Amino acid sequence: MEPVIEVEGLSKSYVTYRRGKGLLRRERVTVTAVDDVSLTIGAGEICGMLGPNGAGKSTTIKMLCGALLPSAGTVRVLGYEPFRDRRRYVQEIGAVFGQKSQLVWDIAPIDSFAMNKAIYAVPDAQYRETLDELVTLLDVADKIQVPTRVLSLGERMKCEFIMAMLHRPKVVFLDEPTIGLDVIAKAAIRDFVRGMQARGTTFVLTTHDLEDVERLAEHVVIIGGGTKVFDGTLHDLRRSLGETRIVELTLARPAGGADLAGLGAAGLAVVGRRSELEVTIEADLRSLNPAELLATLSQRLEITDISIRELPMERVITEIYATNGR
Amino acid sequence: MRRYLAAYRVCLRIAVRQATTYRASFVLSSLIALAANLAFPLVTVLIYGSGAGFPGWTADEVLLIQAVFTLSTGLSGMVLGAVVWVTTLRVREGTLEVVLLKPLRPLPFIVLTTVQPESAGVGLGGAVLMGWAASRSVHGLTAAGVLAFLGLFVAGLCVMAGVALIMAATSFRWVGNARLPEIADSVHAFGRHPLRVFPGAVQGAVTFVVPVAMVGFYPASALLGREAAGMWPAAAMCVAFLAGGVWLYHRQIRNYQGVGG
Amino acid sequence: MARQGMRGWTRGWAVLRAVSVVTYKEWAAYRTHSLVSAFVGPVYFVVQYFIWTAVYADAGTLHGLELTQMIRYFGAATLIGYLTMDFADWNLSMLVRTGRYLTFALRPVHHRSFAFAQKVGHRTLGFAFEFVPCLAIFVLLFRVDMRPAAIGWLVVTLALAFLMGFLVRYCLGLTSFWLVEAGGLQGVFALLSGLFSGALIPLVFFPHWLQVAQFFLPFQYMVYVPAMVFTGTYSLGSIAMSVPQVVGCQAGAVVVMYALSEVLYRAAMRRFTDAGS
Repeated sequence: MEPVIEVEGLSKSYVTYRRGKGLLRRERVTVTAVDDVSLTIGAGEICGMLGPNGAGKSTTIKMLCGALLPSAGTVRVLGYEPFRDRRRYVQEIGAVFGQKSQLVWDIAPIDSFAMNKAIYAVPDAQYRETLDELVTLLDVADKIQVPTRVLSLGERMKCEFIMAMLHRPKVVFLDEPTIGLDVIAKAAIRDFVRGMQARGTTFVLTTHDLEDVERLAEHVVIIGGGTKVFDGTLHDLRRSLGETRIVELTLARPAGGADLAGLGAAGLAVVGRRSELEVTIEADLRSLNPAELLATLSQRLEITDISIRELPMERVITEIYATNGR
Repeated sequence: MRRYLAAYRVCLRIAVRQATTYRASFVLSSLIALAANLAFPLVTVLIYGSGAGFPGWTADEVLLIQAVFTLSTGLSGMVLGAVVWVTTLRVREGTLEVVLLKPLRPLPFIVLTTVQPESAGVGLGGAVLMGWAASRSVHGLTAAGVLAFLGLFVAGLCVMAGVALIMAATSFRWVGNARLPEIADSVHAFGRHPLRVFPGAVQGAVTFVVPVAMVGFYPASALLGREAAGMWPAAAMCVAFLAGGVWLYHRQIRNYQGVGG
Repeated sequence: MARQGMRGWTRGWAVLRAVSVVTYKEWAAYRTHSLVSAFVGPVYFVVQYFIWTAVYADAGTLHGLELTQMIRYFGAATLIGYLTMDFADWNLSMLVRTGRYLTFALRPVHHRSFAFAQKVGHRTLGFAFEFVPCLAIFVLLFRVDMRPAAIGWLVVTLALAFLMGFLVRYCLGLTSFWLVEAGGLQGVFALLSGLFSGALIPLVFFPHWLQVAQFFLPFQYMVYVPAMVFTGTYSLGSIAMSVPQVVGCQAGAVVVMYALSEVLYRAAMRRFTDAGS
């Protein structure tokens, strides 16, 4: 895959002042928001960027967009150096910020679209074609004619996407695009993003909604404490904590303390007991293969039901933050 | 009543605390508000400074009118200054329910809970200017003169309150119009000049219909011992004017519909 | 190169048109609110009319102005306010405070051009719903002679006043990139411009030193200069100038203000992108 975004040793530090002793004395403090991040994102990828608040995600995104000058390192997107070639570069990209609207509140989205058409100098024919296509994909034909203020949050967000994509950007940055949306609107937005990806658009997505990442991104980058703590596929991410599985058991009769202690000795951790008869266990398949696992369990407990599944994303992320983050 | 006073005390405390937390910006905005109100006395000074003036009135006498006007603006602003924009904002955003859901009557509730401490500076400035102008223009102050002044001044406050309430009531119909206070300000302009500069019909209108002349001109005249004809019937009109404002406000609350969707 | 320049112009024109049309539509929802001006403007004017008629009772001229010129001056000052009113400072502060400025940093347009186009759209609305009704009331109801001394110069001076007001307010808005709370500065500015723009009283009434100071401050170029050009004579600080001379002065002030706005804009962008120092 041909890379469209190449980041090498990217860092960003700010100088702030802390009030020191006395009235006028202040202390100079350098804060490193992003520290030596390198990554490559290929054409047509959807890259999910995760990280807790204050981890350096948005600083990274702002540098990728050309809105912030890196302190060190290089960024190349579509062959541009975002900050240096800003005016020409932004012509090629789009951005949707969940909490920073481009639409004008009191008028119909269609009028706001016309404004971006002029700002990006989109030719008439191309504008009509793109608009038709996007409006059909997002199913908002009857919404773009009424004032933005009367739209629901989901409809408004769909219109934000149209606004950001009228000039057919090759790379689109999404910052919390599904924040506050209901399940149906989220699904529609995700479908749209996948649809546009199929047409060759590259997306960089930051979100707190792990479902966004699970449903959209095959490439995941995790930022913690300003540094990159993970970079790989979703599959790799799940495997990164070993072959841990969650095993949920339903028992025929309550398990005693001794039974459960015995599980611990065999390398199985009891992580939850919903009731006397329901026990949740974590097992690492590298130390205990599936056959051994089943044998160990049935030896000690009387099991009426069993389900084995992968670690949920939240757990994976929490573990990664805990081990690598701050 | 006790409940209203308790609510007022809390709101006042919050307003004062906010003012002291952001004291630099509070002092600045108080000064700006005062300076903006002193623009008109400044014009008077400039006019008299150029050798001209209002026939029959000395500069100090005109300044006294405008000082009384400024004092009245400050005092009424402290209590009622926010009624117009709070009502406008709540009607526009459809959050008047917040007020209507409270177990208190809406008008006193809004009046008591929207303290505007910045106006204190305006009132203080007006009082200082008034003292200065009075010391130079009032000769032989009598107890009757002071009493007449106080009575007329209170009547003037009624007018200020009435105008504010009419504007606030209008915002139920003219939803979201942030410019309503400008209308009130422009009408007030008739009250801060010697009444005789206006033609008879205008004098009558600002004395008996929308009695803004009571805000500055009449109380100052009483202090100066320049009894003007029709001053006491006009004062009665002012009270009626305020009652009309209250009535209109309550009537218009019924038109509140909230924001759909 | 020439072709590129040409394309830049057509694109700039397209942006101006599109953004001003959108702004016009945005505010058209509130067009009845603008009609407040059709009440407030004439009321203030009436008050001024009677005040000055009384003041001139014993005087032929004050500071070289006759009563009729004075009345015409206040009529013009009111209308100029409606043609050039500006709140670019407030707009920009709001964008910076809410972080929405970022969406402009990511669009290929200079924000100043965008803001200017917004003002054009907003004032087009002001022209229709404030200027025209007010002018009609002044001329038809009050019978004020609102014919300008020289229409050509009036158009030029109005265009310059429009630009001046915009650039000053825009610069003020740019300070939001440094100041958390730019409201105080904006309040002080609004106060000073209220006093010294000429909307309150012709500047010749001020003490001599304050009049001279006005040549180095932006305020007189927004109302006093165009209003005086409307009446046909100009003098300030004992300096009488012909109309072309004072409009030239005003143009110079606009150029200086433009340069200042560019310097401030670049510094603000260095701060916004953290590329400074």
